[in-house]
Amino acid sequence: MLKVINLVKRYGRFTAVDNLSMEISEGQIYGFVGANGAGKTTTMKIIAGLLQPTSGEVIIDGINIFDSPRTVKRKIGYMPDFFGVYDDLKVDEYMDFYAGIYGIPYRDRKRITDQLLELVDLSEKKDFYVDSLSRGMKQRLCLARSLINDPKLLILDEPASGLDPKARVEIKGILRELKNMRKTVLISSHILPELAELCTAIGIIDKGKMVASGTVEEIMDKLAGMRKLKVKVKENTENAVRLLQEQPSIKGIRINGNIIEADFKGDDNILSLILKRLVLQDIPVISYTLEGESLESIFMHLIEKNGSESYDA
Amino acid sequence: MMLNPILEKDLKTKMRSWRTFVLLSLYLAFLGGVLYLYFLSNNIMFDIYGYSTFNPRIAVNAYNVIAMFQFSLLALIVPALTSTAISGERERQTLDLLLCSGISTLSIIMGKLLVSVANIMLLVVASLPILGMVFLFGGISFWEVLLMFLYYIITAFMAASLGIFLSVTFRKNVTAIIASYICFAILAVGPVIALFIWGVFFGRNYSGEITYGFIAKFLFPSPGFGFISFLAGGHSSMFGFGSLVNEINNFIERDPSWLRHFKPWMLNSIFNIVFSCFLIYLSAWKLNPIKKRKRK
Repeated sequence: MLKVINLVKRYGRFTAVDNLSMEISEGQIYGFVGANGAGKTTTMKIIAGLLQPTSGEVIIDGINIFDSPRTVKRKIGYMPDFFGVYDDLKVDEYMDFYAGIYGIPYRDRKRITDQLLELVDLSEKKDFYVDSLSRGMKQRLCLARSLINDPKLLILDEPASGLDPKARVEIKGILRELKNMRKTVLISSHILPELAELCTAIGIIDKGKMVASGTVEEIMDKLAGMRKLKVKVKENTENAVRLLQEQPSIKGIRINGNIIEADFKGDDNILSLILKRLVLQDIPVISYTLEGESLESIFMHLIEKNGSESYDA
Repeated sequence: MMLNPILEKDLKTKMRSWRTFVLLSLYLAFLGGVLYLYFLSNNIMFDIYGYSTFNPRIAVNAYNVIAMFQFSLLALIVPALTSTAISGERERQTLDLLLCSGISTLSIIMGKLLVSVANIMLLVVASLPILGMVFLFGGISFWEVLLMFLYYIITAFMAASLGIFLSVTFRKNVTAIIASYICFAILAVGPVIALFIWGVFFGRNYSGEITYGFIAKFLFPSPGFGFISFLAGGHSSMFGFGSLVNEINNFIERDPSWLRHFKPWMLNSIFNIVFSCFLIYLSAWKLNPIKKRKRK
């Protein structure tokens, strides 16, 4: 559905997007993650046809956006991170206006508007002025607006930013609904866990470069070297440490009283083998846990690593 | 057929806003006030000079005064109305939502332009009863008034195109408004200054005759030059308009070239239309965030 090839955007000497490539298939919810200023919004604006890149290609539904920008834009729904609304319009007038912008005939507008307002739970507010809506409601209205042309690709730039927890949950609920509707969605956030449960795939961007992409599981599995093995022993800590140090799958070891923390890289077989060796050495193991690396720390790790290499799952 | 959605929305929101009501009221109150003061001052002068009868020729001059005030007011209002058309959308952060929709930038520009012209038409048409008062005294035909309104619309169209172009060029409303007034002033006064400069530096060495055609070549872009056509003639006028207008008309008639068939308003209108088309095209091109690539 979306193919981005070697995208570059430079502002003078500053490179905002650096040779970025990605691919999203139909029906995928793709989470685009990166710290503030990483280049997410710039990339999304280029994909939405709002910014001319320095070089690179963006192909949506088989059509290059730079060859037929207007045709491609009709296939896109875009919700920017910061957006304004026409305060002097009522909610249904606002939707009607954008329906007109997308060339939807008068006779179909009311039906589409009603359906979308229902989806974002704003049906009861349709006679209210946009000005009177809360921020969360405006956000939902903007989401409904971005769906008015029944887009093949939905681009959502930080849809939950600046919202209170309740409004975040509401937005997440709508996104789940979109997932069920098999919409192709490119969604950005600077908070990885926020996207993890919703997305079928994620891409991590830093300093304009794509540092990792793939499904959440793929990225976590391949980067399993960062998993933390926590062993709590009753006594014989020195022996336990010595034994752990002998294992090739164990890297750095930290000791905190009778708790040994080690960086572990390996699969479940190796993990059980280490436990077996500890027990055979008569080391009284109280607990033996492998802590899955949090998405947050994977994200941080990747960003720290960026510059030396990039990773594609 | 679908109406331009930007025109539809802006007309709806503008017409239900109190600002339009206030602007229209002030505009009409001002024009009405000028007309009232004009007749009042004439009455006082009649008393001073001891005339016992009403002089109907003052109606023609009243028409001139009102027409001039109206033209000046439009010159003040149009840049303010149009120069925030696009920069306002940008400041409100709604421009991106329009640009990513696939609607052509020309449609956006035309929508905004038509809204401005519709606003001007509202002001002009609403002022018709005030201007119509001069019909009570005669001397001005309805056709002349209609022609002048047509000229107002064409000039407003040019001023609106200029305002919108500057609104596309400058990101901030304030900058766009100031730039609009400066550019409009340059367009109005610039040709006169150019003619003056020519007169000072090259006039002495010029052996040819100073004809209407010659002056028109300098002044045709100025709305003030075009507006001269609509000042009504008459000999005994209070501000001396009548004799001045007659002099101008005689000067035009004396021109030996084909240009004498083109009155100042016609030349200026041709310029306005061509210049507007150029500005509209340029605005649409500048507003487009993605320029189509030429495949090798």
